Amino acid sequence: MKLIKDKVAKLSFVALLVTVTAAMFYAPTASAHGEKSQAAFMRMRTIHWFDLNWSKDTVPVNDTMTISGKFHVFAGWPETVDKPEISFLNIGIPGPVFIRQGSWIGGQLVPRSVTLELGETYEFKVLLKARRPGDWHVHTMMNVKGGGPIIGPGKWVTVTGTMGSFVNPVTTLLGDTINLETYNLSNTYFWHAFWYALGLAWLAYWARKPIFVPRHIAVEAGKADSLITATDKKVALGFAVGTIAIVAFGMSSTNAAYPVTTPLQAGLLRGMKPIELPARTVNVKVEDATYRVPGRAMQMTLTITNNGDSSVRLGEFNTAGVRFLDPKVHTDETGYPDDLLAEEGLTVSDNSPIAPGTSRTVQVTASDAAWEVYRLADLIYDPDSRFAGLLFFFDEAGNRQMVMVDAPLIPSFI
Amino acid sequence: MSASQSAVRSRAEAVKVSRTFDWLILFTLFFVVLGGYHIHYMLTGGDWDFWTDWKDRRLWVTVAPIVSITFPAAVQAVLWWRYRLPFGAVVCILGLLLGEWINRYMNFWGWTYFPVNFCFPSNLMPGAIVLDVVLMMTNSMTITAVIGGMAWGLLFYPGNWPVMAPLHVPVEYNGMMMTLADLQGYHYVRTGTPEYIRMVEKGTLRTFGKDVAPVSAFFSAFVSILIYFLWHFFGKWFGGTSFTQSS
Repeated sequence: MKLIKDKVAKLSFVALLVTVTAAMFYAPTASAHGEKSQAAFMRMRTIHWFDLNWSKDTVPVNDTMTISGKFHVFAGWPETVDKPEISFLNIGIPGPVFIRQGSWIGGQLVPRSVTLELGETYEFKVLLKARRPGDWHVHTMMNVKGGGPIIGPGKWVTVTGTMGSFVNPVTTLLGDTINLETYNLSNTYFWHAFWYALGLAWLAYWARKPIFVPRHIAVEAGKADSLITATDKKVALGFAVGTIAIVAFGMSSTNAAYPVTTPLQAGLLRGMKPIELPARTVNVKVEDATYRVPGRAMQMTLTITNNGDSSVRLGEFNTAGVRFLDPKVHTDETGYPDDLLAEEGLTVSDNSPIAPGTSRTVQVTASDAAWEVYRLADLIYDPDSRFAGLLFFFDEAGNRQMVMVDAPLIPSFI
Repeated sequence: MSASQSAVRSRAEAVKVSRTFDWLILFTLFFVVLGGYHIHYMLTGGDWDFWTDWKDRRLWVTVAPIVSITFPAAVQAVLWWRYRLPFGAVVCILGLLLGEWINRYMNFWGWTYFPVNFCFPSNLMPGAIVLDVVLMMTNSMTITAVIGGMAWGLLFYPGNWPVMAPLHVPVEYNGMMMTLADLQGYHYVRTGTPEYIRMVEKGTLRTFGKDVAPVSAFFSAFVSILIYFLWHFFGKWFGGTSFTQSS
C-alpha cells in the first residue's frame, strides 16, 4: 500500500512539474478586452452604440481607417455608476497597434474629456492609423469617470505590413515637421546615459577602495572621521559643483534651443452637440419582461402605440451592442460583427403593420446564443435587475424610428 | 578549526575576503534597492513618471521628488552612520533608473509598443549626487535634510528640462493647440488611462502667471525636507541591531 502511495505521490509531482513547464511554454497573445466580463447592466443601461461602421477589415501599416456611428446616453443611467459628466471617447485596442489621429463627437474634435447629457444621442467618428501588424479586435469605448471603461462592440481588423515602416509626421507651430515616433529619442538617451555615467563614476570612486568590512570596523572603533580624506572632500565638491553647473548649462542651452514651449493642455470640453432626432411618433410601454434562462431568450410584452401618419413594424432590438433582427422587416448590410448579430433573433407575436392611430399589445422574443456568449444573461446577478435597449421601428417608406425601453426583468429558471 | 579561530590566516587573505564581501554586499544592496525602490516609486509616482503627457510644471514637479527622496534618505542613513560611505542616494538612483529603463524598454515598448520617447523615466541623478555630497561634507542629518532635501526638490525640474523641453513645443492639431507631449498621449492609445485620469495643471496656484514651475519646485523641496527626516529615521532603525537577539 505504501509503495502505491509513494508512486502516486511521485507521479503527481512529475505531472505538476510537466503542467507548470507546459504553462510556461504556452503563452498565447491576449486579444480580448474583457468586454464579456463587464457587468451586463453596465453594457445595457449606459451607452448604447448603434449604426456602427468599421470602414475597413484590412489596413496596411501607415494607412487609415475610421470607426463611425452613433451612441445614445441612456436616460435611466444606473445609480451605481457615476453620471457621464466627465467622459472620454476612447478606443478599445490592445495597446497602440493603431494611433488615434482624430476623434470627433458631433463634429467637434475631442482629444480631451467631455460632458455628455443623459437622454441624448450623439454622432461620433474615430480616425485610426495602422501601426503594428496583426489581427486586432477594435472596439468602440467610452471611459466614464467614476464608472470605468464602458466598452462597445468590437470587430476584427487585420493590419498588414511592418511596424518598422511606420511614420508619424507632425508639423509644429514653428514650422518643423518631425516624426513623433522617434522624435527626441537620441536626446533622451544621451542625457540619461550621461547622468547614469556620472552616478557610476561617483560610486566607482568609493568602491575602488575596500568598503564595508574595514570601514565598519573603523566606525565601531570611533575612527569614522578618519575615513573621509581631504582628497575625498575635494572630489565630492567637484562632483557637486559640476552637477549644479551641468544642470544650469543644460537648462540654459535647452531654453536657447527651444525658445517657444507651452504647458501641457488640459480641460473639459462641454456643449457636445447631440443629434436632433425627429419627434417620436411611436410610444412603447413595457408590460412585463422575463429572461428565460434555459432558452437563452428574453421575452417582453409591449404595448405599441403608433401616433404617426404611416404604419410601422418592429424590426430590431439592440442591447449591449447585440442586435436582434426580424429579417422580414430589416436586414443588416453594414458588415456588423457576426457574433453580435442575431439576424433572425427577433420574433414578434404579430408583426403586421401597426396602422396610424392604433395600439397593439405583442409578445416580443429576443433569442440567441449571444445572451450566453456575451454573458448578458448574468444580468440576473446584477445589483439592479433591469434591462434596457433600443427598439427600431420602420414605416412603409423605410424610415426608421428609435424608441428606448427600460423595465424590470424577472428571470425564469424553468 | 574551532569556532574561536579566525577563518583567514594572513592579512592578504583577509583583504581578499573583505573585497569579496564588498562586491557581494554591493551587488545584493544594488538589486534589493532596485526592486524595493522601483515598486515604491511605481506605486507612488506611477503615471507621473510613465508618460510625457503627465510631466507637467505643477504636479509632476511636486510629486516626483517628494515620493522619490524616501529610499535615498533611508539607504544614506545605513551607509553613512554604519560605514561612512556617501553613496547611498546615488546607488538608489542607479538601481531605480536601471529598473525603470528595463521596465520601459522591455514592457512599455517591447510588449505594448509605446514608443520610448513617450514613456521614458524621470532623471533623478543630479539631486542624488548633491544629496550624497551634502551628507558627506556636513556629517549632519539635519543639514542634509534641509540643504540636500531642498536641492533634491529644486534640481529635479531643471535636471529634466533638456529632455522634456522638445516635447513642449506647440502644435496646431485640427484647430486645437497642443504640445507634442499632449499629442503623444492622444495618438498612442491607452485603453486603461483615459484623458481625465491625467492629473496635470490642477490646483489653485494661479497667481504666478506662467512661472509656476519654480514655485512648485520650492514647495516640493520643502516637503522633501520633511520626508527626508522621516525616511532617514527609518533607515537608522532598519540599519541598527537593537531588534536582533544578542548571544
